[in-house]
Amino acid sequence: MLNEFFKAAIIINILAATIRIATPLLLAALGELVTEKAGILNLGVEGTMLMGAFIGFLVANKTGSQGIGLLAAILAGGVIGMLMAFMSSTLKVDQVVTGMGINLLGSGVSLFWYRSAYPNFSLSDAALPTITVMEKVKIPFLSDIPYLGPILFSQRMLTYIAFLAVPVVWFFLYHTKFGLLIRGLGENPRAIDMKGVNVTRLQYLATIFGGMMAALGGTFVTLGSTIRFFPEITAGRGWLAIVIVIAGNWQPGRIMVATLLFALLDAFQLQLQGIGVQIPYQILLALPYIFAIIAMMGGRLRSVAPRRLGVPYQRE
Amino acid sequence: MEMKNTSAQIEKENVDYVIQTKGLSKRFLNVVAIDNISVEIRKGEIHCFLGENGAGKTTLSNCLYGYYQPDEGQILYKGRPVNISSPSVAIDLGIGMVHQHFILIEPLTVVENIVIGTEPMGLLPRLDQAEDKIKSLCEIYGIDLPLRAKIWQLSVGQQQWVEILKALYVGVELLILDEPTAVLTPQESERLFDVLQQMKEKDLSIIFITHKLKEVMKVSEKVTILRKGEKVDMVNTTDVTRKDLAHMMVGREVVFRVEKDEIARGKSILEIQNLHVANDMRQEALLGIDLTLYENEILGIAGVAGNGQKELFEALIGVRNVDHGKVILDGETITNHSPRQIMARGIGHVPEDRIKMGLIPDFSVAENLILGHHRNPPVKKGISIDARYIQQFAQECVSSFDIMTPSVNQKTKYLSGGNQQKVILARELKQQPRIILTNQPTRGLDVGVMEYVHRQLLQKRKEGSAILLFSEDLDEIINLSDRIAVLFKGQIMGIFTSDKFSLDEIGLLMAGVKD
Amino acid sequence: MNLLRNYRIEKRSDIGVPAQVLSALVALAVALLVTAILVTVAGGDWKDAFVSLYGGAFGDKGAILESLVRSTPLILTGLAAAIAFRGKIWNIGAEGQFFAGAIGSYWAYLTFEGLPTVLLWMLIFVAGCITGGLFGLLAGVLKAYFNVDEIITTVMTNYIVTYMLALILSGPWKEPGSVYRHTPQVPDYIRLPILASGSRLNLGFLLALLAALLFYYIINKTPLGFEIRALGSNPVASKFKGISVSRTVIMTLLISGAVAGLSGAIELFGSQYRIRMDLSTGYGFTGIIVALLGGLNPLAIIPAGIFFGGLINGSIRMQIITKVPTALISAVQAIILLFLLASQAITRYRIRRIRDVE
Repeated sequence: MLNEFFKAAIIINILAATIRIATPLLLAALGELVTEKAGILNLGVEGTMLMGAFIGFLVANKTGSQGIGLLAAILAGGVIGMLMAFMSSTLKVDQVVTGMGINLLGSGVSLFWYRSAYPNFSLSDAALPTITVMEKVKIPFLSDIPYLGPILFSQRMLTYIAFLAVPVVWFFLYHTKFGLLIRGLGENPRAIDMKGVNVTRLQYLATIFGGMMAALGGTFVTLGSTIRFFPEITAGRGWLAIVIVIAGNWQPGRIMVATLLFALLDAFQLQLQGIGVQIPYQILLALPYIFAIIAMMGGRLRSVAPRRLGVPYQRE
Repeated sequence: MEMKNTSAQIEKENVDYVIQTKGLSKRFLNVVAIDNISVEIRKGEIHCFLGENGAGKTTLSNCLYGYYQPDEGQILYKGRPVNISSPSVAIDLGIGMVHQHFILIEPLTVVENIVIGTEPMGLLPRLDQAEDKIKSLCEIYGIDLPLRAKIWQLSVGQQQWVEILKALYVGVELLILDEPTAVLTPQESERLFDVLQQMKEKDLSIIFITHKLKEVMKVSEKVTILRKGEKVDMVNTTDVTRKDLAHMMVGREVVFRVEKDEIARGKSILEIQNLHVANDMRQEALLGIDLTLYENEILGIAGVAGNGQKELFEALIGVRNVDHGKVILDGETITNHSPRQIMARGIGHVPEDRIKMGLIPDFSVAENLILGHHRNPPVKKGISIDARYIQQFAQECVSSFDIMTPSVNQKTKYLSGGNQQKVILARELKQQPRIILTNQPTRGLDVGVMEYVHRQLLQKRKEGSAILLFSEDLDEIINLSDRIAVLFKGQIMGIFTSDKFSLDEIGLLMAGVKD
Repeated sequence: MNLLRNYRIEKRSDIGVPAQVLSALVALAVALLVTAILVTVAGGDWKDAFVSLYGGAFGDKGAILESLVRSTPLILTGLAAAIAFRGKIWNIGAEGQFFAGAIGSYWAYLTFEGLPTVLLWMLIFVAGCITGGLFGLLAGVLKAYFNVDEIITTVMTNYIVTYMLALILSGPWKEPGSVYRHTPQVPDYIRLPILASGSRLNLGFLLALLAALLFYYIINKTPLGFEIRALGSNPVASKFKGISVSRTVIMTLLISGAVAGLSGAIELFGSQYRIRMDLSTGYGFTGIIVALLGGLNPLAIIPAGIFFGGLINGSIRMQIITKVPTALISAVQAIILLFLLASQAITRYRIRRIRDVE
C-alpha cells in the first residue's frame, strides 16, 4: 500500500490539493498579519470567515452571481472588521473577549440567518440550497507544464489572488509609508501618536483589511469548494490562520510556508481517507489541530510578536 | 496719559516671544495638574522649567505639544492664539519635544524612527535621501550615530540623540526637552549643553525641563519655577542662586543632605561572585559582577540606565536567570532561587516602577501590604486568608508609615506616588529584612517623600540591614552610600569608599573612561 | 478669543457597583432592541417573538423549572470561565472540557456499575472533574512550560475532543442497533434525583449552586484566589512578590477544566441521560457570556445563568409559535456580549462641560 503513495498521480493530487486548501488559510492569515502588526489582536477571524462563507453563499444563491456574492462577503468582512476596530481601538475594550464575541456573533448570525432564509429545509433534506462552485482557471501555457502545471497553474482565481497577496503584503509592509507606520504602530503606538499621526485611523484600516481578507478566505470554503452551506462550515480555519501568523513569525514569507505545511497535512489526510487507510478518519481530521499545538511548542516564537499586540493605546 | 497699549505695540511685544501661555490649567480626573499658568519664552532663549516631580512641568509641556488639551487658558505662538489640538499641529507650528521616557520603536532603525510619520515621506519612502539629510544634521551638531542600527542596539545616551534628531529633522523652532540628563553621564550632559548652545545660536528656542538646580544655573538664561501646579515666579538665572531656586521650588528651607550617622560596618552577609546575566534580547548584560554586601552599610550602585542595573536587581530578587556565577547568603548559595525563597531568607526589595512592579493597582492598600506574605501565617489562617488580621496589620502600617489614604481598603491606584511608595516601603520594612534591594527609590517623588524614604533607609542601616541602592540620581547615591560601585556595560568599573567620593571620577567611570 | 471646545470626554475616577449594574442593564436593553430589528429583518414579528420567549422562559411554574434545568450547565461553565478570566487566563475550552467530563463520567459509570448508587454518583462526579481537569491541566502545562498560548491550546482541544467523541460514539459506545451516534440511555437508578416532581429539575441544579458558593469562597477568601486575582491584575508585580505564575496558571486551568467537566457529567446524568454529539449546544461558549454578564463574580453568575437558561428554554416555545428559529438565541447571546463590553467601556468615561476663560 505504501508504494501506492509514490505514484506520481497521487503526489500531484496531494500537492494540488495543498495549494487549494491553503487558499482560505493564506488569505485570512495575511489579513490577520496586517491587523496584528498594527497592534490589534483580532481573535474573531473564525467568525469573520464564517460570515464571509455564509454571506458569499447566501448572496450567490439568491442572485445567482458569484461575483456579487464575493463582493457582499468582502463588504460583510469589512463591517465586522470595523466593529472589531471600534471595540478595540475606540472603546479600548479587552481584545480577547471582543474577538470571542465576534466569533459567537458570526456563528449565531450565520446560523440564524440560514435557518430564517431557508426555513423549509432541515439538515437531512437532500434538497438543500446550492450554488455553483467557482471554476478552475487554467493559465495558458503554464498549466501544460508536466507536474507543475496541474499543481500550481490549474487552480481557482481566488487561489492565485491568495498567493499573489504574499509579495503584495510584503511590499506594502516593508517598502511603503503606510507599511512603515503600521509596523511602528504595533511596537510603540505612542511613538506614532507623538509624530502627529492618527493612531486610531490606522488601526481601523488595518483591522478592516484583516476582516475583508478573512471574509474573502471564508468565501473560498463555500463558493470555492462546495455547493452547499452548513453551520460551522469553516471548522476552525480561522483559528488555524491565527496560529499560522504566530508560526510564521509575523512575516509574510514564513506565513506562506506555515500555511503550506498545514495545508499539506490536511491534503495528506484527505488522500489517506481516499485510499481507505485503516485509521479512523476522525483522528486524521484532528491532525491539523494537534499539529497546531505542537507547532506552538516551538517556544521562542512569541518573542517576535509586535510588542504592543493586544494592548489598547491610551494617551495618558 | 495712555489707558492701554495700542494693539500694534502688543503685537510688537508678542512677536519677540516664540510662545506664551495665559492662564493655562489642566485637570486629570479630580486632580489639578497645572493651574493658571502664564509663561513667556523668547526667541533664541534657553528657558528652564524648574520644579519638583509632580509640579506640573511635564503637563505644561505636553499642553504645548498638543498631547494634552488644556481645560482653561490660551496659548499664543509668535503672538497668534493657537489651538494645539494634537501633536501634528504642534509639529506644523514648529514645536518639537523630547520626552523623558523615550518613544522609539525598538526593532526599527535610527533612520526609520526619524522618518516615520513625517511629511516628505511619500508612498515609497526614500530612506536614502532621508539618511543623507540626517547625516548632514549630525555633522552640523557633531553627533555621532550609526544610522542604520536598530534602536535596541543603541545605548540610552545614543537613543537620546535619536529623539533630538527627530525634532531637528522636521525643523523645529522651539524644542522642549523633558529631563534630558536623567539618563546621561556627567560628561554626556556637558556635550548636550554644548549642542544646545549651538542650537540657540541658530535661533532655536529651547525649553529645558529639570529638577536639577546645577543644570539650571549652568545652561539657562531664564527660569520659570513651578510648584504644586502653580507658577511661583520667572527669573533671570543670573539674578538668583541655587539656594534661592531651591527655596522657590520647595517653598521652605531645603536640606541638601540628610544626616547620616557614622556607623561601623558589620559583617559580610551577601556575596555576589562573577555574576553573568543576560538581558531580554538574550545578550550578556552582566559580565562577571563581584560585590559584597555588609550589615550596617549602604552600597550604592552608580550608573546610567541600561548598563545592567535592571538585570542585576532582577537576578538578585530571583525573577531573572543567572547564567554563571553565584549569589551566596550567610555562606549558603542561593543562586537562581525563586523569588519566594529569596523573600523567605529576609531579602526585601523596592522596585523601580511602583505601579508596574511593586503594587497591584486594583488591590486595596491592605491587600498590597500582605502581597507576597499571603501564604504565611498569620495572614493565612487554616486554608483561608484572615481578613481581620489584614485590616489590623494595614492600620498599623498606615499609622507608622504615615500613609495618606482615606481607608485601608482604598485601591492603591488612587494613591499619590509618594504614598504608593510608602505602601511598598511599609510592606518590605515590616518584614524586618536583613537585606534591602532598592531600585530608584525616590524617582518621581517630591522632596518631602524623598527625605522620608532616605530617613527610613538610613534607619534600617543603623538597625543592621545591608542595603543595595541603585540610583540614577548621583546626589542621592553620594548622600546615602557608604560605598559606591560604578556599573558600566555590565561591569563594576570601580568601588569608592565614602571618604573618597569624587563626582568627576565617578562620572568618568560611569561613562566607561578608565585611566 | 477662545478656541477651546466646550465639552470633553474624560475618564471617571471610580466605577461603583451601581454603575456597573446599570451599564449591564442598558446593554441588555440595547441588545433587545437590536434583536427586535434582527427578527423583523428576518421576517418575523418581534412582539410575538418576545412574548412567547418570555412565556416559554418564565411564564409559568413549569417554564421556570425547565429554565432552571437549562441554567445548570451554564452556571457551571460560567464558573469555569470566571475563575480563569479573573486571572486573565483565557480558557476558551470549556466546551471541550464539558464533553471530556461527560465521557469520563460515562466511563466511570460503565466501569463501576455494580457499586451502591450514592458511591457511584460520587465516582461519576469525580471522574467528570478529573477528565475535564486533565484537559485544563494540559493547557496549563503547555502555557507554563512551553509558552503555548492557552487560547490556542483550549480552542484546538475543543476540536480534538469533538473528533474523539465522534469516534467513540460511532464505535465502542454506540447504542447497538441505532443509526444515531449516541450512547444508550442510562438506566433510571443512576439518573440524578428530581427535585420537583413533574419537572426535570434535578440535583444538578443544587450542585451548581453549591459550586458557585465554593468558587466565591475560593476566589475571595483563599490564598489561591488572591494569587489568581493578583495575576490577572498585574502579573509583573505578582511575580516579583513570589507568586508562582506557572503554579497559579496550572491550578486555575485545572479547576476551571474540572468544573466544566463536572458540568458535562451533570448534564449527562441529570438532564439528557445519554451522550450525543450535541450534548452541549455551545454551553462552553455561552458560559463565557454568562461569566461576563455576572461580572466574573460567582454569585452573580447564578442569576446570569438563569437568565440565559430562560432564553434557551423560551426560544423553543418561540420557534413553535412564531416560527422564529431557536438559532436566534445564538445570535442574541453574542449581541448581548458585545453590547455588554461596549457599555462597560463607556461607563469608564463621562462628558464634562469645560469652563472657558476670557
